[in-house]
Amino acid sequence: MTVARQIEEALFDAARNIADLEARRAFLDQTCHGNTALRQRLDALLASLTSANDFFNVSAPRAMLASAPAPVVKASHGAETNGSLFSDGLETRIGPYRLMQRLGEGGCGVVYMAEQEAPLRRLVALKIIRLGMDTERVVARFDLERQALALMDHPNIARVLDAGATQSGRPYFVMELVHGVRITDYCNENHLDTAGRLRLFIQVCHAIQHAHQKGLIHRDIKPSNILVTLHDGEPAPKVIDFGIAKATEGPLTDNAMLTACDQFVGTPAYMSPERAETSGLDVDTRSDIYSLGVLLYELLSGRTPFDAKQLLESGVDEIRRALRERDPAIPSTMLTTLTHTDLNLIALQRHVEAPSLISTLKGDLDWIVMKALEKDRQRRYQTANELAADVQRFLHNEPVVARPPSRVYRLQKLVRRNKVVFAAAAAVVAALLVGLGASTWLFIKERESRREAEHGRAMEAILRRQAEARERIAQAAVLVSQSHFDEADRLVDGVSFPETTSEGETVFRTLGEWAAIQSQWKRAAERLTMLQQVDHLETWDTATLDCSRCAAALLELGDTNAYDRFRRAAIQYFGGTSDPLVAERTVKNALLLPADRSVMVSLAPLAEIAANSFNKPPGPGDSWMAPWRCVSLALIDYRRGRFSDSAGWANRCIAYGEDNPPRVATARAILAMADVRLGHADDARAELALSRAMIDARFQTSLDTDGSKGFWFDWVLGRALLREAMATVEPEVKTLQTTEISAK
Amino acid sequence: MSEVTVLLEAVGRSEQQASEELLPLVYDELRRLAAARIAGEAAGQTLQPTALVHEAWLRLVHEGGRKWHNREHFFRAAAQAMRRILVDKARHKSSIKCGGGQQRLNIDDLDLAATTLDDRILLVDDAMKRLEVDDPESVRIINLKFFAGLTNKEVAATLGVTERTIERQWAYARVCLFQTIQTL
Repeated sequence: MTVARQIEEALFDAARNIADLEARRAFLDQTCHGNTALRQRLDALLASLTSANDFFNVSAPRAMLASAPAPVVKASHGAETNGSLFSDGLETRIGPYRLMQRLGEGGCGVVYMAEQEAPLRRLVALKIIRLGMDTERVVARFDLERQALALMDHPNIARVLDAGATQSGRPYFVMELVHGVRITDYCNENHLDTAGRLRLFIQVCHAIQHAHQKGLIHRDIKPSNILVTLHDGEPAPKVIDFGIAKATEGPLTDNAMLTACDQFVGTPAYMSPERAETSGLDVDTRSDIYSLGVLLYELLSGRTPFDAKQLLESGVDEIRRALRERDPAIPSTMLTTLTHTDLNLIALQRHVEAPSLISTLKGDLDWIVMKALEKDRQRRYQTANELAADVQRFLHNEPVVARPPSRVYRLQKLVRRNKVVFAAAAAVVAALLVGLGASTWLFIKERESRREAEHGRAMEAILRRQAEARERIAQAAVLVSQSHFDEADRLVDGVSFPETTSEGETVFRTLGEWAAIQSQWKRAAERLTMLQQVDHLETWDTATLDCSRCAAALLELGDTNAYDRFRRAAIQYFGGTSDPLVAERTVKNALLLPADRSVMVSLAPLAEIAANSFNKPPGPGDSWMAPWRCVSLALIDYRRGRFSDSAGWANRCIAYGEDNPPRVATARAILAMADVRLGHADDARAELALSRAMIDARFQTSLDTDGSKGFWFDWVLGRALLREAMATVEPEVKTLQTTEISAK
Repeated sequence: MSEVTVLLEAVGRSEQQASEELLPLVYDELRRLAAARIAGEAAGQTLQPTALVHEAWLRLVHEGGRKWHNREHFFRAAAQAMRRILVDKARHKSSIKCGGGQQRLNIDDLDLAATTLDDRILLVDDAMKRLEVDDPESVRIINLKFFAGLTNKEVAATLGVTERTIERQWAYARVCLFQTIQTL
């Protein structure tokens, strides 16, 4: 052996044992100093280290001699596969696992039955991921979830035991071995009727809920990941592959998406719209709810909402567009579009006649499925439990929560397309991350790997808190619907960072009003402030009324600082409107107390919109909107010091009539203030007396949520302005009278 | 005394010659054993090459009742024999597959993961022939490791060096051969 060869071999050996690439480079710089040829040669050798190891992964003869024809085994997943274990050049032993039999080939790899030998002897399922993935990243991501996965303990979830890399560098996952058939096959082969299918589905929901509460998202729920086994003769679903989709997925770039459709995820038919987006980062537990919706759709109707084959043929952009925008046919309607043969087969698999199947699905089940399949995740069921509970209600013949979309909602959907909502949700997440503290972030910056770990844990904590908030709000929604306000209020007390959901809106609004009509202003203010945080789904009409609710509670509580923060936020949120109704209400809600210049300036355009609307022909509903518009304009002109304009608007309002008492009382209170500034003290006193008479009369009895005599908050806001008017008109008796009113 | 033992005794005199003469014998023996195994065992079962080579060694060397200590030349020959058997088989199979014509394998066209073992064996054999001139040490290791399927420990015992040395040489040989394959 030449000396040069010996040196080369020794240097190569030393270098390959330095794992840290930076250190390895430094070592080579030093040792090869001046010898460029040697350095190049070593670099080349080191570069092919992994490939060479892969290539020589098996010694030739073993595999060669084993390549005799092999028997065909029936795999657990029902697929016929070639029984030869090692045709793909795999070692027979991976860590403490001995491969025994190939069970099947899934989207992302091959599944084997393997025997674990240490620390305990048992059979496991071992899934080896296809080549072409960044093994280190996959394993690192899996490690992030390892702890959460270990916390998962549910009879309907197959435990994920381990992950690692094979000698040839492919990632593998070790799972509890499940002998079962996919849920759809089980149902069809056993001719399960709709009720039987729903009962299985409920079990799946509960399993998913369990995982969500541990902060884990499955991300790849589909029939092949839900196997049914018989447990004491009873079918029991088992969810497999938890944590694997998360570990193996990257952002869904177009390329990855193609791969995803082609092989990895198997089918985009089960993918939620938000998961199909390129960013792919903003996925939470509700993505699983969508997939559960697809599963339910298929269990009930034998088809997926979007045809998997059609989706695949249409290309990546079209898949995204379809998932985002196309509304799938509701299950019962879809069935009527099938051919006779197809429909009869599907009915037969459910042990019913076709017409009976359609009528079973029509109505409640249709709406349950469609609620789970909402494009906007905030309109979906917020938790798997909630979905299960609705299915359960159907089975018990109780009324379900899911409802067909109203005409108004469908119209809104067209107009709004969720832009505000998504922005709001992103802002909340950003705020949470910032809230982790600058020091944490500086620390994280030190190392890339650590950053990912911390980020993962932070996200996990957020997900967990979100899941908890969601769960509490979901439960509170049920309690609220049954008028158990006390219990509901206790549940949501202390909930932080709730997300925008229609359930959340209802819960916080109802509980806020409940506290308000009992004059518990602190609690009312808390709930209604929370409502402001989540209130992004309602119509502008309701949202601006919700602002009035919140304003009323804050004023009664006497928290002027909070009121000031509230009005600035409201101006920011509604400031861009061109709708006179929204403009008018925002002006009123923001000017219940005198305001500084910046508030006045930002309200000017809104006042202009409200005023200009009088130059247009009246639209529908103008008869009740126009008088309120006059109130707001009177108020802003009063605040601007344009007292005669203010009086003009107030009089115009009063001229509309007395159909809405709080409106009239409010207009008279403003008019009283304007009059006194204009030097008409007697007129002012007269208006004040009229206003006070109406308001005193109303507050003789307690407030209620019945809006027929005017909303409670309109009365409360009127009273607030009345107080200001009394102090303005008769400063000397201010203290006495305000106390009087408060006492009542 | 059998022919093999005579030859093995001659090993001490001329290594090269002895190995050459030993080869046909070992080759025949290995082929016979492999064929018997494949016929006798259930289809699809694996045959350990190490077992095969060891069995050949036991049969050939212990025939005369004498224990031979110099296993190096036997294993060298056995590895060489295995290489021939495997390359012949691979060539035969690939000629059937490709309709008779010998197809030149190009590493660039191959996804390594997708290459069959036969492909790999032919590639390795080709590359070894090229490497033989510059780096016979590596070729010797590759023969023992890749074709005879010996463990590092066995190779170390055979060659009378430490396991660590074999580990190092095998790692180096692998990348050298892989580089050569890439230039084929």
